[in-house]
Amino acid sequence: MLTLRSVTKRYSTLTALDGVSLDIAPGEFFGLLGPNGAGKSTLMSLAAGLRSPDSGEVLLADGALSKANLTARHTLGLVPQTIALYTDLTAEQNLRIFGQLYGLGGRDLQTRIDEALESVQLADRRHSVVQTFSGGMQRRLNLVASLLHRPKLLLCDEPTVGIDPQSRNAIFDFLEKRNREGLTIIYSTHYMEEAERLCSRIGIIDHGKILALGSLDELLTQLPFEDEIVFPETPVTATFSAQLSAHGQLDTVDGRHRFRPRPGYPLSVFFATAEQSGIATRLFEIQRPSLEAVFLHLTGRKLRD
Amino acid sequence: MNPIFVLFKKGVLLFTRNKAAVIITFLVPIILIALFGFVFGLYKNVDSGPGGIPLAIVNLSTEPAATDLIAALKLEKSFRIIAETKNADGSMRPLTEADVRAAIHNNHYRFALILPADLVSDDALGIHLKFLSDPRNEIETQMVNGLLQKTIFSRVPQLLGQSLQHHSKKFLGDARFETFNRTIADTVAANYGGDREEIYQRLISGDFGFGSLTSSSKTTTASTAKPGDEKAAGAADIFSRIARIETEQVVGKQVSNPMAARLVGGYAIMFLLFALSGSASSLFEEKRSGIYQRILSAPVRLSHILWSRFLFGLALGTVQVSALFLAGNILFGLDLFSHAIPLLAVILSAAAACTAFGMLLAAVSTTPEMANGLATLLVLLMSAIGGAWFPVSMMPEFIQHFSKLTIVYWSVEGFASVLWAGQSLMEILPTVGILTGIAAGVMALAVWCFKRSAMFD
Repeated sequence: MLTLRSVTKRYSTLTALDGVSLDIAPGEFFGLLGPNGAGKSTLMSLAAGLRSPDSGEVLLADGALSKANLTARHTLGLVPQTIALYTDLTAEQNLRIFGQLYGLGGRDLQTRIDEALESVQLADRRHSVVQTFSGGMQRRLNLVASLLHRPKLLLCDEPTVGIDPQSRNAIFDFLEKRNREGLTIIYSTHYMEEAERLCSRIGIIDHGKILALGSLDELLTQLPFEDEIVFPETPVTATFSAQLSAHGQLDTVDGRHRFRPRPGYPLSVFFATAEQSGIATRLFEIQRPSLEAVFLHLTGRKLRD
Repeated sequence: MNPIFVLFKKGVLLFTRNKAAVIITFLVPIILIALFGFVFGLYKNVDSGPGGIPLAIVNLSTEPAATDLIAALKLEKSFRIIAETKNADGSMRPLTEADVRAAIHNNHYRFALILPADLVSDDALGIHLKFLSDPRNEIETQMVNGLLQKTIFSRVPQLLGQSLQHHSKKFLGDARFETFNRTIADTVAANYGGDREEIYQRLISGDFGFGSLTSSSKTTTASTAKPGDEKAAGAADIFSRIARIETEQVVGKQVSNPMAARLVGGYAIMFLLFALSGSASSLFEEKRSGIYQRILSAPVRLSHILWSRFLFGLALGTVQVSALFLAGNILFGLDLFSHAIPLLAVILSAAAACTAFGMLLAAVSTTPEMANGLATLLVLLMSAIGGAWFPVSMMPEFIQHFSKLTIVYWSVEGFASVLWAGQSLMEILPTVGILTGIAAGVMALAVWCFKRSAMFD
């Protein structure tokens, strides 16, 4: 669906994207995960044809994507990071304007507007001015405004910034449904939970480079440990935790120990040692490592640093 | 630290960071004050003050007083005297009445003084002058009238002396006229001293020595007399009877409400510039909201956005100025409908130029605050030097060159030419062409700047 070949983009002395290559298959829900300033928005703007690469090429369905290629624009939809709506106009007026930019009109456009507003539970607010909407409602409208022309590829640039969990979940449900219906989605975020929940494949980006690429499971295999065992920091566990540092990585975060055993270290040994130290096994919680751990492992810093 | 001082410091910090606020607060008034200083000649060591209002002179008189009067007018700094015109072969010749009438009609200049053959006639006591005008600008016209009165009345005694001598000669005959003058010269010489022959020559040339009177009273004319100054008013009345000035308005006679015809155009264009500059700064709001990303990811080119903005500005400007003129029609009886086509042509071209100007402001600015600051500065400056507030002819010559580079100047000229001078579409085409050229040039520059700016990134 979308291919980036050795794409480099510079702004003055800053290299925003550095030789990025990427293939997005049709029907994929691809997550682009990285901290602010990693190059996500630049990659999205190149994928949307808003900018041209300094070197390399961007191909959309085998055709080169450029500012001049207007036909290709019908294939893609962009959900900008900001609320890209005319907030002094009503929801319906906004959708009509953006639909007409794609050459839609008449009864067909009206039907699509009705469906779009229905799909994000805004049908009863169609005549309300957008600035009277809550943040979550504006985000939902911002999303469907990009889908009126029924694109094959949807580019979502951090579409859930600043909204409540309920609205966020509504957007997730909406996107998952569309993805199941065949829509290819590229979703940029710096929330690892979003990438973990939504994306079938994730690219971790930092300083303009794709550091890792694959499904969540594939990314987790890059970690030097498989599990995380979390338990409370108490006087009883102090001696026990000191013994663990020889067998893996031990951190203390917010009054809790987090033990990441070296690959091959048997959990049976861990629990036997705990038993000998007189610690009840119910205190231990085994967790699957997160993308945060992968990012930390790849970059040496946390995702939100 | 006391919260009052903390918040005071915050106010200072925010103000100094807002360049637009600084420009509007300090730069705009200083520049305008400086400009007014130039216009009204407040600078002592700099060439300031009016560059000279063009005044054409047609001299048909052979009287020496006519030459004196022209010399006096040439000494008046506020006038730029035009007495000759070019022949087809490039040689110069004195102006004729037909020349000045055509030139006034074509707005090459707006005032002409004709010194007719009967400037000093045998048939009537006093002098006769003819004044042709196009009073399309009230302030300029009043200024010219005042200056002319001052200059002419300061020469009235001498002119009157010549007139008296003409009459005496006609009434007494040559022989008795000479005896009469010689008797007076002898009497004056016997009683007050002096050379008899010199006094005689001065008498027959009409010089009765009233010049010393007028040198002290020449400023006490009708235009400068204070209310209640009966002596001055009386003197002015006598002078005005003695100096018969035949006035004729060459252009604008048919205008039903001259003041409205003069004012509405200038103010319309100033508000148009403000409105369109504000409208262009809304480009920044759309950029901030990310709407351009959405629009440009659709099958839309940058040129589509720019042309849509241009068309919107053109439509808004046309409707705004038309509404202002319509208000002028309803409120002041301004005659629009007999000039509808040429007026629409000027409105359209002026709106196009103002829209392009607003877009250029947005293109060269990096923030809406900067665009607003620049707009305030440039709109007020253009209005001041373009003739929206006071006549361009009142400004120093070097500023008048800049006046002709402004949208305001050509718009005001265009509106006045249509509403005041009643020019047709064909006659107004050069002005419309200049405004359209400005629109095209400025818009091209705006597009070039937009392509290099971060507005649509």
